[in-house]
Amino acid sequence: MSQPIVQLDGVTKVYRQGSIDVHALRGVDLEIAKGEFTAICGPSGSGKTTTLNLIGALDSPTSGTVRLENEDLGALSRKELSEIRRDRIGFVFQAYNLVPVLTAYENAEMVLWVQGAPPEDRQRKVMELLEDVGLSGLEDRKPSELSGGQQQRVAIARAIASDPAVVLADEPTANVDSETADTLLDLMERLNKNRGVTFVFSTHDPKVMDRARRIVRMVDGSISDDTVKDAVT
Amino acid sequence: MRTTETNSISDRGVEMSAGQASPATAAGGATASTTATSVAPRDVGDTKRRGTRLWVMAWRNLWRNRRRTLLTLSSIVFGVFLAIIATAMQDQNWADMIDLAARLGGGHVSVQHPEYVDHPTITRTVSADERMLSVLEGDPEVKAVMPRVLGQVMLATAGESAGAGVIAYDPALESTETLSALEAIADGEPLEDSPDGGILLGARIVSKLGLDLGDRVIYTLTDTHGEIVSGLARLKGIVETGSAAADSGLALLPIDALREVVDLGPTEVTQLAVFLQDQRRTDPAAERIAGELDQEGSEAAALAWYASRPELAGFIAMKVGGARFMEILIAILVAAGIFNTLFVSVMERMREFGILSAIGWSPGKLFGLVMLESFWMALLGLIGAAVVTAGPYFYLANTGIDVAAIIGSQMDIAGVGMPSVLKVGIFFENLVIIVVFAVLATLLSGIYPAWRAGRVEPVETLKIV
Ligand SMILES: Nc1ncnc2c1ncn2[C@@H]1O[C@H](COP(=O)(O)OP(=O)(O)OP(=O)(O)O)[C@@H](O)[C@H]1O
Ligand SMILES: [Mg+2]
Repeated sequence: MSQPIVQLDGVTKVYRQGSIDVHALRGVDLEIAKGEFTAICGPSGSGKTTTLNLIGALDSPTSGTVRLENEDLGALSRKELSEIRRDRIGFVFQAYNLVPVLTAYENAEMVLWVQGAPPEDRQRKVMELLEDVGLSGLEDRKPSELSGGQQQRVAIARAIASDPAVVLADEPTANVDSETADTLLDLMERLNKNRGVTFVFSTHDPKVMDRARRIVRMVDGSISDDTVKDAVT
Repeated sequence: MRTTETNSISDRGVEMSAGQASPATAAGGATASTTATSVAPRDVGDTKRRGTRLWVMAWRNLWRNRRRTLLTLSSIVFGVFLAIIATAMQDQNWADMIDLAARLGGGHVSVQHPEYVDHPTITRTVSADERMLSVLEGDPEVKAVMPRVLGQVMLATAGESAGAGVIAYDPALESTETLSALEAIADGEPLEDSPDGGILLGARIVSKLGLDLGDRVIYTLTDTHGEIVSGLARLKGIVETGSAAADSGLALLPIDALREVVDLGPTEVTQLAVFLQDQRRTDPAAERIAGELDQEGSEAAALAWYASRPELAGFIAMKVGGARFMEILIAILVAAGIFNTLFVSVMERMREFGILSAIGWSPGKLFGLVMLESFWMALLGLIGAAVVTAGPYFYLANTGIDVAAIIGSQMDIAGVGMPSVLKVGIFFENLVIIVVFAVLATLLSGIYPAWRAGRVEPVETLKIV
């Protein structure tokens, strides 16, 4: 097994809501290796989003450590965390991922643009990616002119454009019909195989989690089950 | 060819666009041109793409809520329009008053003996000779130069006497344009250009002395040698300004007549009243004239009109303050509108900012985006204001509105008729101030919304779907 990209050690997360403490995570240990295609599943409120937010340097744990490529995120400043997100993590959210006033192309090049990559490099990379995710010819459409599935494809293109260490997708298929969900998973699977993109996504749809090679089950803020399937499709 | 390929690759994912693409595909042999208009195929690196630019993004954001943006823009446009027209009216009004002050007194700039201000005697004169006049009239700002002798006289008839301030002017040169008292001649005529040209007196003096037009009056004063001397003149006209001070204390004589009586040389004056093209440039003109006189080796001093009329200067300063206050008020109202628009639009987009922050936008970049939006707003507002204001402004500046026709009577101040046509003319500095205020108000009101955008908490805002 290769060096883990993500390591969670004894991670807890407690939200204070008025006078009561909400224990969102109760001691989570988790390692994600390069090239994984992993689903985090569990019922609503089990801590999936919280876990992804911690891995994605969007939030910090109440206790325990989160490491990304061996770097302890707890030791970093806000600015450094922002740069980590920009350079080493890809995000795909459930819906309305895209900036409505920007075209598919502009949305897809967003991360590269923020990184300050030269326009020619951005163009080469993004045009190639958009073709790969099946959006050739739609570069100049605004998100409102794209279907939900196409919008998620743009979001995926944006997420992988900067070759991040890991792509985190919180319920990426929750807002599309099951057929579209299938094609999105086809795409993610293909990108995982062909480009070696590491995917961690959450879902509570059994059909979606079946597509994962590794299934991490969460119940009430803890990991209850962690299964790696045979790499047979 | 490329298009059909594209469609087949992505047809499972192209749910909605299938509807848009289908007419072409359904038609079977779609021509290249029809497909090109709907979904233009593009080769990688074929055309050079500009890529995303922050100011373009800000521009597009401005038009997400077209109605709201247009409303805010119209408030900027209207505010600037109002500020400019109102300020231009006031500016013109002050300009008229300054001109009036100049016509009532010693011109926009008075050239006189340096000691005359403190010791106004008939011996402290300057020489209005060729050299002096060529210096003054050579100045590009100078419209006219009027030689005058001022003094105090005692007027007497057989039974009565009264004191008066005398202005001795050149009847051949002066008109109502430079001497407002001539406008207030209620009875009789202006003075004639002869040593025996007569005298003009305030209405109250006339009645006190019991004079009729054509009656003779003796005026007595001290001459240049300190002797008491007298002259004789016929009452040529009665000046009724409505102002008690003028009506009971003003006398006007032909300058040559008075010179002869007090033994002044033919070019000697106590004051040269200098009239300028533009009273707004009194200060620099006074300074320049003083410098020119100095260079010529002349002793004479050049004083701006307000040095001799501090009360009017104070009044005008007060009105300037009032206009400033109004400009600030308009700026605040406009700023409140812009603030509201930007704030609401930022609050509506918090999830979007959360996503941008999540994928690595720095707070500074988010701040910059919203600031650019308010910059666009300021720029558009100013352009709109320029377009909307230009027409009415130039109409009011050139043609004006005939107020007398509307009100049905003529306004007058101290018996001197104010121009009955309302005109406007903004001071350039005030225009600059208004523009700067408008831009500042817009940018300042963007700061807080922009700061809120930069401070977005992705974790919180991403929960909003
Ligand atoms: N900001 C917060 N303040 C208080 N409690 C919170 C906050 N965020 C999450 N929680 C709580 O933490 C627990 C875990 O939430 P989380 O969003 O991680 O669940 P989830 O597995 O993603 O659920 P879902 O499937 O509904 O998205 C829940 O009980 C939730 O109510
Ligand atoms: Mg969740």
